[in-house]
Amino acid sequence: MAQASWTKNKNAESLEVKSGNGRLKFVIGGIVLAIAVGFLAFNAMSGNTQLYKTVNEFYAEQTRLLGRDLRVSGYVIGDSIQFTQIDAANSRLEFDIVDDLANPGQTLRVVVLNEPMPDLLQHEAQALVEGHANEDGFFMANPGGLMLKCPTRYEEAEAHPEGV
Amino acid sequence: MVAEVGYAALLLAFGAAVYAAVAAWYGNRTGNQAWVESARNATIITLPLTAFAGILLIYALVTSDFSIEYVWQVSSRDMPTYLKVTALWGGQAGSLLFWNILLAVFTAAAMFSKWRTQKELIPYAIMVASFTQIFFLGISAFVENPFAQSAIVPPDGNGLNPLLRHPGMIIHPPMLYLGFVGFTIPYAFAMAALMADRLDDTWIRITRRWTLVAWLFLSLGLILGGRWAYDVLGWGGYWAWDPVENASLMPWLAGTAFLHSAMIQEKRDMFKRWNMFLVILTYSLVILGTFIVRSGVISSVHSFAQSAIGPLFFGFIAIMFVFSAYWATKRREHLVSENHLDSLLSREAAFLYNNFLFMAILAIVFLFTYYPIFSELFTGEKGFVGPPVYERALAPLFAVLLVLMGIAPLTMWYRTSLKRLQLAARWPALAALIFVVILFALGIRGWGALLGFWIGSFSVILTLLEFWKGTRARMKRGEAPWVAFTGLMARNRRRYGGYWIHLGVLIMAFGIIGVELFQQETQLRLQTGESLSLGQFEMVFQGVERYPGPDDLLITEATVDVYQNGELVRTLHPRTELYTRTGQPMTIPNARSTITEDFYVLLVNWEPTSASQATFRVYLNPLINWVWAGGIIFIIGTMIAAWPDRREERVTVSRQQVALGTAD
Repeated sequence: MAQASWTKNKNAESLEVKSGNGRLKFVIGGIVLAIAVGFLAFNAMSGNTQLYKTVNEFYAEQTRLLGRDLRVSGYVIGDSIQFTQIDAANSRLEFDIVDDLANPGQTLRVVVLNEPMPDLLQHEAQALVEGHANEDGFFMANPGGLMLKCPTRYEEAEAHPEGV
Repeated sequence: MVAEVGYAALLLAFGAAVYAAVAAWYGNRTGNQAWVESARNATIITLPLTAFAGILLIYALVTSDFSIEYVWQVSSRDMPTYLKVTALWGGQAGSLLFWNILLAVFTAAAMFSKWRTQKELIPYAIMVASFTQIFFLGISAFVENPFAQSAIVPPDGNGLNPLLRHPGMIIHPPMLYLGFVGFTIPYAFAMAALMADRLDDTWIRITRRWTLVAWLFLSLGLILGGRWAYDVLGWGGYWAWDPVENASLMPWLAGTAFLHSAMIQEKRDMFKRWNMFLVILTYSLVILGTFIVRSGVISSVHSFAQSAIGPLFFGFIAIMFVFSAYWATKRREHLVSENHLDSLLSREAAFLYNNFLFMAILAIVFLFTYYPIFSELFTGEKGFVGPPVYERALAPLFAVLLVLMGIAPLTMWYRTSLKRLQLAARWPALAALIFVVILFALGIRGWGALLGFWIGSFSVILTLLEFWKGTRARMKRGEAPWVAFTGLMARNRRRYGGYWIHLGVLIMAFGIIGVELFQQETQLRLQTGESLSLGQFEMVFQGVERYPGPDDLLITEATVDVYQNGELVRTLHPRTELYTRTGQPMTIPNARSTITEDFYVLLVNWEPTSASQATFRVYLNPLINWVWAGGIIFIIGTMIAAWPDRREERVTVSRQQVALGTAD
């Protein structure tokens, strides 16, 4: 208490909270700050969120989704994986993904440029790819946009966010 | 045989937990202490029972007893023994059993340490902790039985993904589990205080200590996970804002807020309701996190088996929520604070701002993590929020938090004058500015980075000054410098442990700014003798060797010379390993690590048909080692703060004895 009375007398500058309207000040201050944080969140999000689609969902709305930033998930078909070192500075990785390996349906051809081939890119691996579909029917991955998980080998396998 | 005995131990443990909850309730209701003691014994007995089940499962793993389904799912004959042992937490069923063992350890430890001093709270704490144990043991015993036997015994098991054969990966899950499970105890005692209507300062002290222990393990788990990702995954990163990572971060954020605001309640008897809310929130986020991780409701790069336990968890969360809300509402009048905030410039106000920032960060991480669910609910389309969005939204909040970290220790309880703060911060602010001007002169550009470095160095200086002021005060009393410095920390572990933690975070912040804003990378195919340049480094490709390794490994190893400003500084050997039996490749990076940066090289592609050429991916990660060094300081600081303080405990005990009229 000694400390309190010391400061009370000497420091006219301190931002005192007067009882009575103190609570109201806090409520208003809190609301203003909360709005500021909300603004921060929505400002960061606006125009930067991706739509999340499975392969079949993508094909259902292909024209609308053309060129848009998407996150597509599907299972990798092992035989379709191709890695080509085009020249010294350019490489091209391609593979197909489907919604269900047992019942493939439509396949989406994913293209990853100038990135290593991930260790986990194998038959049956589940791929999450960020990127966009182009008019030639390829799904072009963003740099660092290919992520893989591998549930068949080990239940809790932490996956492989290549180049995030 | 092993399976039957193990399962029997699990069932007995489940029975003991049920009995403990019922006996504690009955003993408390009738005032019969013998029943409460019996409940305590039953709580303690779940530890040897679950531990015995765990040992049996380890025995089955080590002896490759593939008649047990779990054993062949997660292990194979060729695995080294230590990996077979750690496969205990390698899959869903085993990790749930492991979770149960840890929960039993924590509960038993709480019984032993608090039995004599907390007679009134113990029966309720037993009820709450046992209820949690009943839930998890119930799942182990009836839904995800780790001892389930397979109809056909396979000749060999699935084995372990080689990516997970890393020390960081072996220790990372148990640390996270310890963190998660550990939060059960603070929650149990907080609820016990509500139920017993003993809302004096006792519960906050018990809760704070146990929260600190859980928080230590959770922090360790998070840091080790990052280190593993950096070492093994080969993308030069350590954190990806993935939903599963966020699931561990969120209780950490709530727990951090609580550890700070608990101090206001201890010193000023304020924020009681808020603290109760934070304890409940932290525990709810733990259970919610476990639910997200294991149910697969939100798509993540971390894969866990999808199973039927999702709805059960949902039910558990609902019960816990209603239960907590009921008691908090019922006792709300008793959680009224006696005191009010005197000034917006005071230690308690600083803690308030800290809490606001942590809650804001938590709210944003929560919103972004669950955005797929919210967006589907409101727009009918599933959306996703990527790492850049997190970084943009959170960077300003983290920046303010770092400033606060430096300034808050300058404030005093009740009120502080603006003048005093200005005086104390003026020179450190200027010194930090000079530091940033030097960085600018050295060629560092970008206002975000320079502002970040200014804030970081400003707060580092202020934190170091706190150590200096305390040490100097003791030296004036005639102590030698080292004695004064260590004595300072021994005398006030929480405060100076806290400052060490701040220092660790600030050093990590330097590392994060460095690697996030200045990382460079390139990928190029080189002929033998050719070179690539990155920053001030040049890398010359010398050749590739392929040779068989242990077991079924085929190793392809490149040799590259790294030059810095024209001078050879290191020869690196990035390599790939191929597990020929399974066809699983593994890319092993090799890096030259220094305090200023990592030069991190991956061998991307090499074909025997064109042996003289190979493709490399190279990262230049400035200040990355500051992240790990800061992490180590952070953990040491937490240990200093959490170390049991006999003096403090004596004070608490004697105060309670006075309150209960049992003092001599």
